[in-house]
Amino acid sequence: MTSSENPVRIAELSCGLEYSGIQKEIESATKQVNAVMVYPEVDISDIDNIEEEFGLKVASPDLKLMMARAKAIVTGKVHVDAVFVATCFRCAEAAIVRSEVRRYIHEHTGIPVISYSFTERTTAGTLLTRMEALTTTARRKSLLARDKQSGLTAGIDSGSTTTKAVVMKDNKIIGKGWVPTIKVLESAEEAYENALKEAGVDRKDIQALGTTGYGRFLLGEHFKADLIQEEITVNSKGAVYLADKQKGTATVLDIGGMDNKAISVMDGIPGMFTMGGICAGASGRFLEMTAKRLGVSITELGALAVKGNAQNVKMNSYCIVFGIQSLVNSLATGSKPEDVAAAACHSVAEQLFEQQLQEIDVKEPVIMVGGTSLIEGLPKAVEELLKVKVIVPENAQYIGAVGAALLASGFISR
Amino acid sequence: MKVFIYPTNSLVLSDLVERFGHEPLAIMQEIGKKVRTQSLDSPPINITPEDPKLGLKYAAVEVPSGVRGRMSLFDPLISNADAAIVVHDPAPSFGCMGCARTNELVNFLIRAKKIPLLELDYPSSEDDAKEFVYKISRFLKSLTEGKK
Amino acid sequence: MDTLTKMVVINSEKVLPSDIVIKLYQSKADVMIKETCFGVIVSGERSVVNTLLDEIRKMDPYGIFIKERGLAPGEQYRCRATRRGGARPGFHSIETENKMLPLIAAALKALDKGEIPKQKQRKKKLDVERFKEIIKQTEVS
Repeated sequence: MTSSENPVRIAELSCGLEYSGIQKEIESATKQVNAVMVYPEVDISDIDNIEEEFGLKVASPDLKLMMARAKAIVTGKVHVDAVFVATCFRCAEAAIVRSEVRRYIHEHTGIPVISYSFTERTTAGTLLTRMEALTTTARRKSLLARDKQSGLTAGIDSGSTTTKAVVMKDNKIIGKGWVPTIKVLESAEEAYENALKEAGVDRKDIQALGTTGYGRFLLGEHFKADLIQEEITVNSKGAVYLADKQKGTATVLDIGGMDNKAISVMDGIPGMFTMGGICAGASGRFLEMTAKRLGVSITELGALAVKGNAQNVKMNSYCIVFGIQSLVNSLATGSKPEDVAAAACHSVAEQLFEQQLQEIDVKEPVIMVGGTSLIEGLPKAVEELLKVKVIVPENAQYIGAVGAALLASGFISR
Repeated sequence: MKVFIYPTNSLVLSDLVERFGHEPLAIMQEIGKKVRTQSLDSPPINITPEDPKLGLKYAAVEVPSGVRGRMSLFDPLISNADAAIVVHDPAPSFGCMGCARTNELVNFLIRAKKIPLLELDYPSSEDDAKEFVYKISRFLKSLTEGKK
Repeated sequence: MDTLTKMVVINSEKVLPSDIVIKLYQSKADVMIKETCFGVIVSGERSVVNTLLDEIRKMDPYGIFIKERGLAPGEQYRCRATRRGGARPGFHSIETENKMLPLIAAALKALDKGEIPKQKQRKKKLDVERFKEIIKQTEVS
């Protein structure tokens, strides 16, 4: 993100942004990642013919304009580095166009695309991580092509719930640290120190360091990191590396402490992705609360859930308050703890399915990562919903730190 | 009289209404008010996240923000209309008129007002155009005569 | 000041945008004038703009069409020159309507001559029974 680089040109294909009053937020987020929004040029004849050419007939003229602009990109009439497709949340007509336009550009050009449905409450802050991932994918293709870790590097992932660190040497993890996030810097220091200790190396010997997660900027500055990178890019890379699925398609799912990521990956590079962060009922926090209610530790919840049957517990809500209440009520009426644990996993998986997986193409292999993937009941529930096998690679909880250490090795001075 | 036109950004309708001595109620005047007030806080057309909330007057929160934002722009036009000319199946126009759901709601609200209303088909031939202009001129004249 | 911006769209064999611009300058009125692909944009005090354009319309009543415009001429957030790429959405709308202007001009001329056009019957859907008959006939042949 240095200012000497040319700004990334992102095509804005949207309907309703200006009328929701958030065009300014988009501009602000793009400016922060040294990108600019561009508006592909089309003629009225392009718009007149687009429905027939694209094959999708719609009532809203602005959606026709969106399709015509997408075609201008695909036919090379306009050059852009990335595409941002955005329409109003809860508009069914626009959701169909958004999804098809995103797929059309992705399949015909390989240009990175993100899709987003907004409300008048969407802010630059919400968009920042997405824009950062989009511009990174566009700008750092060579860095992302790295499929092996080399030298002695480290990665720190400062998540909302836990902080993870790894030390890697010659394509192997040699030290790991995992602590709950209390104070961002102190927790990172502790996790990093633990990883270094386990690896038996000195901090000064680390040749390159990468940071990711919520606290990435603060940590990056503190540790003088070589790479400061959002978690969409890092986790995609980390997931296909750990699962040894670096070539071809993959889908990466990460249910985090505060938000979820669903990423459609091609050769280790994120193509389409969604990030959710509206509802705690769809996050790792929900499972943590369930574990507390059941009187088990979060590490035991998964094994318990695998033994249970979610169908035996009726849940009236996905909500972290009312959903948990349903679980408590069913315990009071005699439900087995294992069924309750399974129901909780199902609830989270179902929300992921309903809110996020509709937005991306789910292509196999499906790789689940992050701390929650170790709660065995959760990947099992996702498998049942998606009807595909879900891979949870070894060290899946260190995904961000591994991805950061891997990518950081590209910074070792050659 | 103040005559609401649909499409609300139409050059032809706006011109004809003015030509025949009435005041067109067109979306351009609302955009003009927005961009000319004080500073341009929310470029390009100064619609802020407050506008979709004003649109709640016409549509519930479950209706997309883009519809509600547009409705807040249309509000003064709908409220002030003494009469209306509505063209069916117009050629597509974009931006303020770019959302089909908003357009359906605007059409409904204008009909529900029970004001003098002329509904026309979009002309596709010279004969159609003659009928189109003739009907509009007669309608606008009848408004003036009705007032007398 | 009560500002008004109006767009003069020209579809005339007699009048060129430059003729209008010259006439506007000659009026010495305190307005902003910009020539565009479709005609001229005029911005200034409401009453001044309206009076000026009443005169301009007389230059060719069948070839000059006028509407209000929300944005001022050359508005930087909307202008293609400063917006990186495509036109403002309203441009495409004008592009579409511009094609219809010769038809409207002919209709206005006819109206001034006192022509009363024939009322066209709206097309109705074919009666189902008749449609069935046609299908049967087609099958036989």
